[in-house]
Amino acid sequence: MASMDVPADLPKPRAEARPVAPPTLTWVTLALMTTASVASLRAAPTMAVYGLACVFLYLVPAIVFLLPTALVSAELASGWSGGVYRWVAEGLSKPLGFLAVWCQFAMTIFYYPSLLAFVASTIAFVIDPSLASNGLYTAIVIMVLYWTGVWVSSRGTKALAGLSSWGLIIGTLVPGTVLVVLGMVFLGQGNPSAAPMDASHLLPQWTGLASLVLIVNNFLSYSGMEMNAVHVSSLKNPAKEYPKSMFLAMGLVLLIFILPALAISWVVPADQLSLTAGVMQAFDAFFSYFNVGWMTPIAAIMLISASLGGMLTWLAGPSKGLLEISRSEGYLPPFLQKLNKFGIQQNILVTQGIVTSVIALGYALIPNVSSVYWIFSTITTQVYLIVYLLMFVAAMRLRKLKPDHPRGYRAPALGLICTVGLLSSLAAMFIGFVPPSQFGSGSVWSYILIVGGGLVILGLLIPWTFLKMRKPSWRTAAADAPHEGDAA
Amino acid sequence: MSPTRFASEHKWIYWGAIVILVGLLVTGLIRYSAFKRTDETADKAQQLSQDLVKAGYPAPDQETVERLLGTDGGQVCEAPGNALKEALYRIQQLSTGTGGPGNRPVIADTKAVEVERIVLQVYCPDQVDDFDDAIDDLKTDDTVRR
Repeated sequence: MASMDVPADLPKPRAEARPVAPPTLTWVTLALMTTASVASLRAAPTMAVYGLACVFLYLVPAIVFLLPTALVSAELASGWSGGVYRWVAEGLSKPLGFLAVWCQFAMTIFYYPSLLAFVASTIAFVIDPSLASNGLYTAIVIMVLYWTGVWVSSRGTKALAGLSSWGLIIGTLVPGTVLVVLGMVFLGQGNPSAAPMDASHLLPQWTGLASLVLIVNNFLSYSGMEMNAVHVSSLKNPAKEYPKSMFLAMGLVLLIFILPALAISWVVPADQLSLTAGVMQAFDAFFSYFNVGWMTPIAAIMLISASLGGMLTWLAGPSKGLLEISRSEGYLPPFLQKLNKFGIQQNILVTQGIVTSVIALGYALIPNVSSVYWIFSTITTQVYLIVYLLMFVAAMRLRKLKPDHPRGYRAPALGLICTVGLLSSLAAMFIGFVPPSQFGSGSVWSYILIVGGGLVILGLLIPWTFLKMRKPSWRTAAADAPHEGDAA
Repeated sequence: MSPTRFASEHKWIYWGAIVILVGLLVTGLIRYSAFKRTDETADKAQQLSQDLVKAGYPAPDQETVERLLGTDGGQVCEAPGNALKEALYRIQQLSTGTGGPGNRPVIADTKAVEVERIVLQVYCPDQVDDFDDAIDDLKTDDTVRR
C-alpha cells in the first residue's frame, strides 16, 4: 500500500475553503466525550455475575490495553492533530492512515443497530415490555433515533459535545454513583455480600479456553479511547490539554466499569442476575432490595440518555477522520467530502446513515439477520483491532523517525508500552477466531472462515478498492500544507 | 463547565431531549407504580423459589421475583424464541463487559442459561420448547466462580 503514496505531480487541490474552527472544547468536555464513547453502565449486570473477579477482568485488560492505548494516543495527539489517520499517515504511510480511519469508521456501522436495539428494548421496558420483541417497533425506534443523531451531529461539534457530556453525567455518572452508594449502604448495614469478596474469588474461574476468551475479549471493552483525538484541534492548548483529558477519561472509565458492577454483585446474587435475563431487570432486582424499585424506570431513562450520548460521539469522530484524510489525499469522491454550513461532513454522515439504515432494518425485521448479528460484532471488533496494530507501530516509528518533533507529552518507555499494546491487540485478534457460545456446535474452521472472510472484506478489500479508485482531482485540501492546529 | 455554555447555544435541542425523556420517565413511573402484588404472583414466585432451590440455586427474594415476573413471566416469557429478543440476549448478555463498540461474544456461563429455563417452566411452560430450540446450540462453560 505504501507504493500508492500520492505522486508529486498531483493537480492543485480545489480552492474550497475549509472552515477553521476556533477552540470550542475544554479538556474536561473532551474527557467526558471520550468516557461517553467507551464506558456505560449497560455492562454492569453482565460483569456483576463474576463477583469480585470482575475487578480482575477489568484491571488486567486496563494494564495491557487501556494504559498503552491511552498513553500512546496522549503522546501522538499532543504532537499531531487529526487523530489516528494522521498518526498512521505520518508514521507509516498515507494509504495506511486511510486504512486506519476506515477501519474505525466501518466498525461503527454495525455498532449502531445493536446499540439502538438496546435503547429500543429499554424504552419498551419503560412503556410496554411486550414491544421489545416487536421488529417493527424496534426498526422505527432505531431509524428515528439514528437519524436524529445524524441531524444533531450535523449541527456541529459543540452541539454533540454538550449532549454527549450531559448524557454521560446524567446517564452514567449519577446512576453509577447511586449504585455504589446503595451498595455501600447495603454492606454498611451489616449485610453479607451476595458475591464472596475473599481472596479466593479474586481470580475468575479457570476453565481453559473459555476463561481465556473472557479475559482477552475484555481488552476490547476499552476500545475507542483514542477516537475523540480527532477533535484535538478544538482544544485551546492541545499539547497540554489532550493528555490531561486522556488521563481523566482513563480514571473515569475504570471507575464506571468496576465500581457499579461490584456494587450490584454485593446486593444481587449471581444466580438471581441470571434469572433477570435483561439489563433493566437486573437494575430492578438491585433497587427492589432497597424498596426503591421506582428508581428502575428512572435508571432506564438515564441509561437511554447515556447510550444516545455515546452514539453521538461515534457519529462525529471516525467520520471526521475519514473526511480529513480524504480531503487531503482524494480518497473519497468530492460528493462525500462536502461540508455543511457548520463545517460538518454531512454527506459522509448521510451515506453512512443509509447503509446503517439498511443493516438496522435487516436486524430488526429479518429473523435470519438478527440471529446471526453477533457475528458482525465479532468481525467489526476484529477490523477495529487493525487500527490499534497500526497505531502502536506508527507511534514507535514516529519516535524513531521524528524524535525531535514537538510533543506536549512523551509517554514513558514508549517502546515497551507499544509492544505490550501490540501483543494485546494481536492476542485479541487471535482470540476473536475462537467460536463463542453463540456458534454452538458448528465447525471451528467454518467460524474462522466467516470471521476471517469478513475481516478481509471489510477491513482490507473495501478500503483497497477506495484507494484504487481514487482520483487526484478528488483532493480538496492541500496534503502538504501545514495541518491546521498541529498540536505542539 | 463548557457543556453549560453549549446548553445556551443549542437550547432548543436540549429542551427537545429533556421533554422527551421526562415524558418517558413519567410514563415509566406510572406504569411501574401500577403493578399490584396478588396471591397469584406470590404463588408463582413461591413455586419458582422451590424449583430453583431443588435445582441447587439459592432462593431469590420473593418480592423481587413477583415484581420482575408477575403472573406471566414478564419479559422473560415474551416470546423467548423470538429472533430479535434472542439477538439482543446474545449480544448483551452473552458478551464482554463493555459499554462501547468493543462488545464481543464469549463462552457464557452454563448456569445463566439453566436458570432462565427454570423460569420458563414455571411461568410459561408452553414456551420451553421454543426456548430450547433457540438455545439448543449454545455452547457454555462454568466461567463463574461460585
